[in-house]
Amino acid sequence: MLERMNNQPLLSVSGLAKEFVIKGNKQKIKAVDGVSFALNAGETLGVVGESGSGKSTLGRLVLRLLEPTAGEITFDGEKVSELKPKELRAARRQMQMIFQDPFASLDPRMTIEALIREPLDIHKIGTDSERAEMVKNIIGHVGLTQDALARYPHEFSGGQRQRISIARAIITRPKLIVADEPVSALDVSIQSQILNLMLDLRKEMNLTYIFISHDLSVIQHIADKVAVMYLGKIVEFASVEDIFANPQHPYTKALISAVPQINPADRTNRVVLSGDIPSPAAQPSGCHFHPRCPIAVEQCSEVEPQLRSITTADHLVSCHLATGVR
Amino acid sequence: MKTFKRLLKRKIALFSFAIILFIVASAIFAPLLAPYDPNEQFQQGLTLQGSPIAPNSEFILGTDLLGRDLLSRLMYGARTSLFIGLLANGFAVLLGTFIGVVAGFVRGRIGSAIMRFTDLMMAFPALLLAITLAAIFSPSLFIVALVIAMVNWVQIARVIYTQTISISEKEFIEASRSLGATNTRILRRHVLPHLAPFVMVWATLGISTTVLLEATLSFLGIGVRPPTPSWGNIIFENQTYFSTAPWLVFIPGVAIILLALAFNFLGDALRDELDPTQRGRQ
Repeated sequence: MLERMNNQPLLSVSGLAKEFVIKGNKQKIKAVDGVSFALNAGETLGVVGESGSGKSTLGRLVLRLLEPTAGEITFDGEKVSELKPKELRAARRQMQMIFQDPFASLDPRMTIEALIREPLDIHKIGTDSERAEMVKNIIGHVGLTQDALARYPHEFSGGQRQRISIARAIITRPKLIVADEPVSALDVSIQSQILNLMLDLRKEMNLTYIFISHDLSVIQHIADKVAVMYLGKIVEFASVEDIFANPQHPYTKALISAVPQINPADRTNRVVLSGDIPSPAAQPSGCHFHPRCPIAVEQCSEVEPQLRSITTADHLVSCHLATGVR
Repeated sequence: MKTFKRLLKRKIALFSFAIILFIVASAIFAPLLAPYDPNEQFQQGLTLQGSPIAPNSEFILGTDLLGRDLLSRLMYGARTSLFIGLLANGFAVLLGTFIGVVAGFVRGRIGSAIMRFTDLMMAFPALLLAITLAAIFSPSLFIVALVIAMVNWVQIARVIYTQTISISEKEFIEASRSLGATNTRILRRHVLPHLAPFVMVWATLGISTTVLLEATLSFLGIGVRPPTPSWGNIIFENQTYFSTAPWLVFIPGVAIILLALAFNFLGDALRDELDPTQRGRQ
């Protein structure tokens, strides 16, 4: 709450970039290319984009699981990007991650109890018996029963494992959680359960989420703000209402038109993009999106558009042709 | 202890454990149990033509080419073979695992340097290396064990190195790092438990190769010095009599195989018992 009083966002990121160098031909790949945004406490930022758009890399950069090549990350008044390894480890208590694959992200040789307890052990929170008590409390919180504690990850289903991952992420009472496609490995019927659990926890613990997904319907359900990424850049950034009601970037429009609608009357003309996302090693000139853009003009292949606000100050888009009109 | 109890519920593990216990006991209590002095050459221990005597009531497993009691030699030989087998293999596994884990976990230039050195060691013919080392140091049981360890650690290091890398790339390692775990913790809590089965396999599999390598070294005169018996040199001493007195090669051979198999089966069972996804399955 303090952050809000000071009008300070919980997390602000500016000019964040990550270049990977391919060994051998010394090619550089810009996985994330100058991303800036700010997020207030209690808000959820949805990050969408195709595979290869750099959304997962962005999530890992924010937590400094990957070292950024450039840019600044400020979290809770602290410059995360300048923390020393030891300080960074301590800061991780406040910023946790939920991974996509609940089968790979839990050590198969540890019991559920040991897994959920691990963050407490790492950060030396509480005494031995207090830790055991906290684990017992949290397991009910995420919708599992006590008898799960003595068992091993392989005895659980994907949804249950993701609940375990969530328990692990929230037990230190963090402020920020980066969720990297937390439901895309799950059955659709299970997805909504996990999403609702995350929504409940957000309310209860005033959590701030960065929710990475390629699925716009999931984003619509959970996010307050949406960042649409293409080739390592944010091409459109707006509140979830604006993104869905008034998408400005042709890429966003194409993504939204691809979301299945139950009611045939709601179906709009599908914008079908041709081709695949280009290799980040060979980025197109001008606007990175122009080779696939249905409305591109000559200017698009020459001048790279910058993020600019349109209609409202909070609706940012990087497209020469965006007018703000629906 | 719980693991051990569960382990012995597996029939094959129980059986292997019994065999190992039997061999170890006969080695430890050799002075009490052995019917004769292993180095005594009996006048009645050879036929009139001077060839070994087949198993009979006086010499239960027969006599060797010098008229010594084979059973006594086997029991005393078990002391040498077990000592070298466990010590040399223990050294090799410890060294190989340590080097493999360090190189695999540190990676980068240091890791590469360590592994290139390992490759260099691997390029040497094992026997040549052993002979050179044995020639430099004056031979004793301890030195023989050390020499064998120096030869055997290389393959272990390679296997552990690649396994360490593959485990370090797993997502649960990154998950642990994202929780704020230190490298030491990740190594101890996540990497080493996953390496355990591989170490276990080598620790048991290696005993048989070690016993055999000791036999080879003994044969070349740089291993265990006669008249001290070891299972390896019993076979090599007597191999010229293979056609007329096959038991002299056959019986110690069976002993080596039995010991090796027992360790392998026990190691397999232990590995399964340590893996929560395999536990209790036979």
